[in-house]
Amino acid sequence: MKKYILILFLILSFSNLFATQNPKIESGFPSKPIKIIVYTSPGGLIDVTTRKFTEIASKYSDATFVVENKPGAGGIVALQKVLSQPANGYTLFACTKSNISKFVSTGGTSYIHALDWLAMLMADPECVITNRKMEISDWTDIVKDAQKKNGEQIWVGPATGGLDHVTAIKIWEQFDFVSKWIPYKSGGKARAALLGKQGHAYVGNPREVLGNPDLKISAVSAKKRLEQFPDVPTFIELGSNELSNEYMWRGFAIKKGVPAEILNWYDKLFQQVNNDPNWRTFWEKGGIEVVYYGPEKFGTIVNSDAEFFRHYLGKIGIIKTENYNIFTRLGSRKGSAFLIVMLLLFNLIVGYFVYKSPKRELLSRILIISFFLSLSLLFYILSFVFPESGVVGPSVVPRLWIFLLIPLNLLLLIKTVSDKNIAEEHSGDVNKVLKFILFLAVYLVGIYFFGYYISSFVFVFMSMYMLGYRKFITMLIISFCWIIFSYLIFYRTLYVPLPIGRLFEILL
Amino acid sequence: MEILSNLIDGFGVIGGLIPILIIMLGVVMGIIAGAMPGLSPSMGVALLVPFTYTMSPTLALILLVSIYIAANYGGSITAVTINAPGTPASVVTAFDGYPLTKKGKPGIGLGVSLISSTVGGFIGTLILIFFSAPLAKVALKFHPAEYFALAIFGLTTVASLGGKNWIKAFIAAIFGLLINTIGIDPISGVSRFTFGISYLYDGFALIPALIGLFALSEIFKQLEEGGHKTKTEMDLSSEWPTLRDYIKLKFTIIRSSIMGTLIGIFPGAGATIASFISYDVTKRLSKNPENFGKGEVSGVAAAEAANSSSVGGALVPLLTLGIPGSATTAVLIGALMIHDLTPGPRLFVTHPEIIYGLFASLLVANVALLIFGLFGSRLWVKVTNIPKKILFPLIFAVSIIGSFAVRNSFFDIISCLVFGVFGWILRRNKYPVAPIILGMVLGNIAETNFRRAVMMGGYDIFFTRPTSLILLILGLLSLIFAFIRSNKNLKPKQN
Repeated sequence: MKKYILILFLILSFSNLFATQNPKIESGFPSKPIKIIVYTSPGGLIDVTTRKFTEIASKYSDATFVVENKPGAGGIVALQKVLSQPANGYTLFACTKSNISKFVSTGGTSYIHALDWLAMLMADPECVITNRKMEISDWTDIVKDAQKKNGEQIWVGPATGGLDHVTAIKIWEQFDFVSKWIPYKSGGKARAALLGKQGHAYVGNPREVLGNPDLKISAVSAKKRLEQFPDVPTFIELGSNELSNEYMWRGFAIKKGVPAEILNWYDKLFQQVNNDPNWRTFWEKGGIEVVYYGPEKFGTIVNSDAEFFRHYLGKIGIIKTENYNIFTRLGSRKGSAFLIVMLLLFNLIVGYFVYKSPKRELLSRILIISFFLSLSLLFYILSFVFPESGVVGPSVVPRLWIFLLIPLNLLLLIKTVSDKNIAEEHSGDVNKVLKFILFLAVYLVGIYFFGYYISSFVFVFMSMYMLGYRKFITMLIISFCWIIFSYLIFYRTLYVPLPIGRLFEILL
Repeated sequence: MEILSNLIDGFGVIGGLIPILIIMLGVVMGIIAGAMPGLSPSMGVALLVPFTYTMSPTLALILLVSIYIAANYGGSITAVTINAPGTPASVVTAFDGYPLTKKGKPGIGLGVSLISSTVGGFIGTLILIFFSAPLAKVALKFHPAEYFALAIFGLTTVASLGGKNWIKAFIAAIFGLLINTIGIDPISGVSRFTFGISYLYDGFALIPALIGLFALSEIFKQLEEGGHKTKTEMDLSSEWPTLRDYIKLKFTIIRSSIMGTLIGIFPGAGATIASFISYDVTKRLSKNPENFGKGEVSGVAAAEAANSSSVGGALVPLLTLGIPGSATTAVLIGALMIHDLTPGPRLFVTHPEIIYGLFASLLVANVALLIFGLFGSRLWVKVTNIPKKILFPLIFAVSIIGSFAVRNSFFDIISCLVFGVFGWILRRNKYPVAPIILGMVLGNIAETNFRRAVMMGGYDIFFTRPTSLILLILGLLSLIFAFIRSNKNLKPKQN
């Protein structure tokens, strides 16, 4: 009887966990926290924008906003997170114009059309930032120097193919020169390079010069001079009308299919935040234009940006326009899958014989060498797919590592084969480990279908059993305590959204 | 003198009960964030940012830097007790910290790591306070060629990590470097080796790899060896370092702290490289290098002093230039901006009370770290007393949740398990796994800076810039020295 009561108690507790995590949508929206997915690590400007937005939005709504950073792949990781959620209005995507570049270069229009572009909230004009302490820091001098150096002048900035890079290319076109674009991991690191006089110019937004007197804006892409930087000439004044409206926007999007009443709720909230004096002052003093463009206008802007990036990314070779040879075929998704399967199969067959062989110790060493050689071969073949751009293209460094890895493995192979002192060591209970690995794999499948809580409870309990522990009450208590600990610390305190499983996602 | 009077004012700013309580809270939360595999110092800080909205900017910063300092130490706790480094920087701490635990002396590892962290934190902060302006200028002059040379110098530490298995160590390091090229190429923007799998666009995350290679592979190894069947029979409570033990380590701690601070000021270099290089230097200077990796306390001291002092170093470019020196300082910049403060040299003029309050709080946070660390270490030692049949499943569960927490990604759990299995296979074939982490950490710095440098000035730039040339020569000498030493160690055995 006690057993049944305990089981009932556990089921009720689990149900309660799920209920807290996934309350059903009530009549009024929102009835649970709204998650805003940010595509950068904490600290980036879009992260600051989002956090400031949540702070201001809290004045106008009782909703709880949770900011979740999902950095990676220029926004693709965050986008996929957004798209994996139900279209119920509880997940927003904090986005910038830079995302469009990455969407165009990876998923194309399908990514762009998967979202409703809810609100564009700000537009900071792109500007060319220079180092006041360098001899050449005025725009006209930059142009003269670039033309004289004929492609050797250095511009620093963040990611290749990102907004700042593409804007730089457009600026070069307009002023009839070419320069070198040296990309850095972040804008901050690129600014450090500019301050260290390792580059002549940096493309960014006006706010980035604040706080550092050595940085100077030499030209800005706006229709008229910025109030906050009255001495800075616009590109129109410098002779280019084409660069009058280059800006970085920031805003919010949502998965397509959200009911209209929820979209209206957001529309009202965005307008309230946009009119908030604190919000406006906070951004405007850094030269950022605070705007509010609703879904229709924002959508048009996004589509036009996609065209813009398609043109320039094709031009700099990020979007492939021509192909094909035997290596590029092998490097395609199907080709590489074929290669991987063949190499895996080869290593698995060898592995099986190693497992069965009395010379297990020697052969297992050879199997590892074989794995590294297979990997080197696979990567070497795939490296032929990369477009060769510039002096040191994307294949140079991987091949360098491959060329080091192959001889080292061959050397090790010779040493291993010629070493007569390899003792057949007693290797312990390998089967036990293999069973555990299999059990862990089942646990992962369990998490996917039944969620973290149930699977972990079963896993912790069962693995103690597998290790020979037999105090069942203690095992139950420990398993249960672990679930409570995970829930309180990770889900409640640290906002880690532990998976509830496909099954419960469908049911709830 | 002006600095000293400003610092005294800074202590005045944090003199009340509330700031002290906030420092204590930050330290406790930081230790927990660092100790939990999967939660990095930057995540710990980021998680607390929303709670600082309603605080004054000074209090907000005090809380965040307290977490930062403590999280860097927290990583060493699980590294020493269960061989699951909480942060990449504490990988090196595990080299000797965990063997100490296996010998029944977790208190020695935890004690040395705590004192070294505290002293390292102090030295890093003092260097930040008194020398930040000239150091920032040095950091700015560091060219991509020099960053590349520094990365190569860092990689040469593999030779001494590997010992007589140097070929295997290098293979592991190059494997780390190679898998680091998976994802979108940071220079050209094209995707490499992703097989069209979007999860791989950003490559493999470091933390799941770290958890898999260290924590999971260790459990698999112990399962294989039947380690879970043995009962712990150690008198753990009596095994703590004495004052004399600490004094013996003074030169190691001071040297590593200075190195850690200096490496920390270069944006992108960071705590992990600092701890690897300091460990390597300490091993080379040691009279008993053969003891390293087997529970040598100076190894723990070098790693911990270096990674804790790098916090002070990373704050140099943040405060003097407005440029983040690490992932965590990037979060701090965001927090400053939310409070309407613009980091950079002007902040010293416009808000000196915030800057010097921050300096003072760093010093106080180190004292709080020492107090809570002493108390907490004694609790943590008890973890090693938990029967393995209970402990192992819980470590598995922590590893899974920790890997997931990094990016809230199921893919990271799978990669953790794959790295765990791979790590186990490698370890049972005498491959060291730490070089894989080193390769993954250094891969990006080495590649991007190599390519940047060549784009800027051709291939000869590495040899025409004096600092780069010196670092490369040092790297080469370091390799030669390691091989000679390794041969010397082998010869008597062969004879």
